[in-house]
Amino acid sequence: MMMSRKKSSKEDKKIAQPYTKGTLAIQIAMTVAAIFFIAPILMIINYSFKGKKELYLNSPLSLPESLNFDNYAAAFKKLNLTTTFTNTLFYTVISVAILAFLCGVTAWAIARCSHKFFKFCYIYFIVGILIPYQALFLPIYMIGYNLKLTNTRYGIIFMYVATGISFGVFLMNSFMSTVPLELEEAARIDGCSVVKTYFLIVLPILKPAMATLVIMQAFQIWNDYLLASLYVSKKTLKTLTVAIQSLFSAQSSDYTTAMAAIVVSVLPIAISFLCLQKYFIKGMTVGAVKG
Amino acid sequence: MKRKNLMEKKMFRQYLLLVLPGFVIFTIGLIIPLVMAFRYSLTDWDGMSAEKIFVGLENYINLFQDKEFLDAWWFTIRFTIGNTVIQNIAALLFALALDSGIKAQKFYRTILFIPCLVSAVIVGFVWLKMFSNVLPEVNEVFGTSINFLLFGEKRTVLTGLLIANNWQWIGYWMLIYLAGLQSVPSDLYEAAKVDGAGPIKRFFNVTIPMLAPSITICVVGITTGSLKVYDLLVSSTKGGPGRASTSVIYQTYTTAINGRQYGYGSAMSVTLVVVLLLVALIQVRGLKKKEVQA
Repeated sequence: MMMSRKKSSKEDKKIAQPYTKGTLAIQIAMTVAAIFFIAPILMIINYSFKGKKELYLNSPLSLPESLNFDNYAAAFKKLNLTTTFTNTLFYTVISVAILAFLCGVTAWAIARCSHKFFKFCYIYFIVGILIPYQALFLPIYMIGYNLKLTNTRYGIIFMYVATGISFGVFLMNSFMSTVPLELEEAARIDGCSVVKTYFLIVLPILKPAMATLVIMQAFQIWNDYLLASLYVSKKTLKTLTVAIQSLFSAQSSDYTTAMAAIVVSVLPIAISFLCLQKYFIKGMTVGAVKG
Repeated sequence: MKRKNLMEKKMFRQYLLLVLPGFVIFTIGLIIPLVMAFRYSLTDWDGMSAEKIFVGLENYINLFQDKEFLDAWWFTIRFTIGNTVIQNIAALLFALALDSGIKAQKFYRTILFIPCLVSAVIVGFVWLKMFSNVLPEVNEVFGTSINFLLFGEKRTVLTGLLIANNWQWIGYWMLIYLAGLQSVPSDLYEAAKVDGAGPIKRFFNVTIPMLAPSITICVVGITTGSLKVYDLLVSSTKGGPGRASTSVIYQTYTTAINGRQYGYGSAMSVTLVVVLLLVALIQVRGLKKKEVQA
């Protein structure tokens, strides 16, 4: 009885009801808010198609006279796009892959082994979540410099892994209770080693949690500015965000190119967000609620 | 029995092998820098010379008399309080609006969420152009005279940055409140209704207590996030006009990297880490207490 009522009222909520005064007001207010949120994005797209002359002669609110892609061509060149784009993609993919692997095995080992050292590890990693790497950029730069990690590909990847791992371990650890112990034990009796058990039994069950981890880390690393600006200053190693920032400061008056550059850099995340929206939203809220 | 012990030892070693790589990377990349920051903060190192003279707590004592550093804190605190208040209230209101059964819920959710996918460096630049080029034109169209050049004046730069930062993050926190709202069992509302509680009473007596875990996450997340502000400033105000929007990290960067005062800069870093840890702990404690009572 209780159950059925709860269910029906939840379903009612989903079906759009006819407007009352209140909901109509909310609908209008939300539309106004949505305009505030979308306006800057429309402005970026609008500017990215405008010519240099239009910038000075026409109103900033006017639409471009024609769809010209000159700004995109210029952005391609000035950002050194093929290099910076591949760099960013490379750093993101490799760091996230390493993080996914390390966080999974670390969290699992911590959850399964009751030895004191592993209990210490859990607290050690959790404290790491509270330590802001942004505040420690200076020693992070210095240690990288001393270990010859600066201006190398593996250096920046190492740093992304180091700064992302504590949250990842914490996130994966909170999902470990979904892995049935009986399955692991059965595998062990069949003679599987610890590593093999992880890959055959645990990993497939952890897939949804992995998806969350991958999505969250990927877009953070893709958007990172501080670490990238500290670690890779060489032209051939630069990331997209760093290149865009130098474009911003170099061309503050001719910003149509900068706008096209923004579109290019945001497009990959925007597209993956729209395709994976369900996982994105689930991942972020699960990750946060568990916290 | 002996065999079991042997087996356990073997497994322990294998588990250890799994934990060690992560442990080492984490230690080198984050924990050692933390220790280094503390050590350097006790010296007058300039980042280049081989010798680091131990000066004790001198750097910390100087910090409290350094007007630029105190100003940076003052800006950061105002920025943080502004964000925590506005973002929490706005995110909760938007979540309530989306949960009220209006049409096109998912469409609004997507639009509000998109800004947080963009790098803060880009957000800063976009709002720089919004304030300086686009919005003044809106004045002309509507014949109004609102001052939109918010980044240009010391008085208004904080408002401008708050608008940019809230534009980016409200959608994210809204999503967390929305998930919290949707997990509130509807029986509770009905029971409250039967007891004769009006909508406002229901909101304060049912919704808010049930949302307590989400409130904890959002308050802590927004506060610690705002205290670390840096990326947003790099492309928008560059800490200006004057030093009106210089945050603690921005000031540390200028002091340490540009000013070549690594020891002094490290002391700034340590101060910020300590404050961040304290704030997070106090907030979690205080808010968790409320959760239990609810």
